Amino acid sequence: MSGTDKPDNDLAGNGSTDNPADLAGAYALHALSADEAAEYERYLTWSEEARVEAAELSDTAVALSLSVAPVQPSSGLKASLMAQLATTPQLAPLTTAADSVKPAGSAAPTDAPPAATPFGSASSRVAEAAPASSDDKGSAAGQGSAGEKGSAGNQGSAAERAQRRWFQRPAGYLVAAAAAAALFVGGTFAGQALYGDPSQDFAQVQAASLAEINAAPDSQRASTQTLEGQDATLVWSGELGLSAIIVDDLPALGDDQDYQLWYIGSSGPVSAGTFDSDGSGTAWRVLDGTMSAGDAVGVTVEPAGGSEQPTTDPIVAIQS
Amino acid sequence: MLDLMTAEFNFDASSTAPSKEELLARVAEGDQSAFGELYDQIAPRVLGLVKRVLIDHAQSEEVTQEIFLEIWQTASRYESQRGGASTWIMTMAHRRAIDRIRSSQAGRDRDTKIGIRDLAVPYDHVAETVEVKIEHERVAKAMSRLTELQRQAVSLSYFSGYSHREVADHLHIPLGTVKTRLRDGLIRLRDELGVGS
Repeated sequence: MSGTDKPDNDLAGNGSTDNPADLAGAYALHALSADEAAEYERYLTWSEEARVEAAELSDTAVALSLSVAPVQPSSGLKASLMAQLATTPQLAPLTTAADSVKPAGSAAPTDAPPAATPFGSASSRVAEAAPASSDDKGSAAGQGSAGEKGSAGNQGSAAERAQRRWFQRPAGYLVAAAAAAALFVGGTFAGQALYGDPSQDFAQVQAASLAEINAAPDSQRASTQTLEGQDATLVWSGELGLSAIIVDDLPALGDDQDYQLWYIGSSGPVSAGTFDSDGSGTAWRVLDGTMSAGDAVGVTVEPAGGSEQPTTDPIVAIQS
Repeated sequence: MLDLMTAEFNFDASSTAPSKEELLARVAEGDQSAFGELYDQIAPRVLGLVKRVLIDHAQSEEVTQEIFLEIWQTASRYESQRGGASTWIMTMAHRRAIDRIRSSQAGRDRDTKIGIRDLAVPYDHVAETVEVKIEHERVAKAMSRLTELQRQAVSLSYFSGYSHREVADHLHIPLGTVKTRLRDGLIRLRDELGVGS
């Protein structure tokens, strides 16, 4: 069995009589302490041969990772990450050859966050400020299409029926496929330092809120599908009274329509803000207002700016 | 020297999809959609590896999040001439998983879970794709060319996250012996897997 092994006759080695080259394997496997790794890296700076070996053994370690079965992350993980990009600064490219000698970890982050908005760039317009005023034409068109949807009267699929007129029913009826998994995702978030900064824009507030919900000790989530079959996830924290909805591949609406969010509790639907999707990737929005225990969350398509009460059937409803 | 591995790593990507190297270059310029695509391509690989080491799913997702934030932050430091993007990312992923394990609480939690885990079934049983099976067999074959002692030491450190000192304690052998086994074991694997040239 040990035919090809070097006889273990170097057992005298007890770690103190070191030839630094012996650390090559442990280094590649990340089996050294920080001090030991630093010592080995000093050795690497003056041995080209050792650098080649270190690179090859490191690549060999990566090859081991190829044999591990992939595991699909929860859908909330990607949304949470995407939400943090806008507020996570990136290192500037290295420009000089001298700089490139520095280990990657030693450079300080640049402090200019890239100008970017989260997917589903949200509108903070609220329902009360709704139709009539600025956008008569758009509103009219929106109402028209809402009317068509409302009066279609077809039986539709079971899922469709289940979601129809959800806002007129006790929330308990909505449970449907909402399999709540008490899944804690996230912990430390780079965006947290931004809280309380009055100059931050809406996107940053949204990103910070989503991160906060994900990080809450009582963070929970429930998933279902929209009428069109897109995956929709509600993530919420009862302690914070906050929730966010995350929908994969949500189509973009025209200028005359918005998606509107609703908290539905015992007293009926309450608007929780509007948003649109950019049509690619994952759209998400932290709901305005406060979530109460047992509230369901629904999404309808409404005229731009939102409505005071839902005027269409929800594309998705999720029970918290 | 990494052409072989890079090619295999991209095996599961459709030929029309942008390569991970291209995506990483765009990520370095702040391209969020490129980041999303890169995530879709490699996140299951990253989580698979991290979970293999940490066992606990929720904690593994946390670490995976940290890894992708680090990718976002440091994409500009990736140098394509020094190896494939997957290699860069998976090396970072393994290091992060190990860092987590070395924090004492995580280590204790993990020890409990490792006690429960059936060590005879080292691979997560999610649906295995063809390419994972191929890689699994390739690595298993290469591992079979190590001595039992080398294999044990390499597995304990890479997959179970033991430091070389912990391997020595665990196996009741001198540290110098562990160093030798890890190095000789990896060199043998390198040759068997055709890494380097």
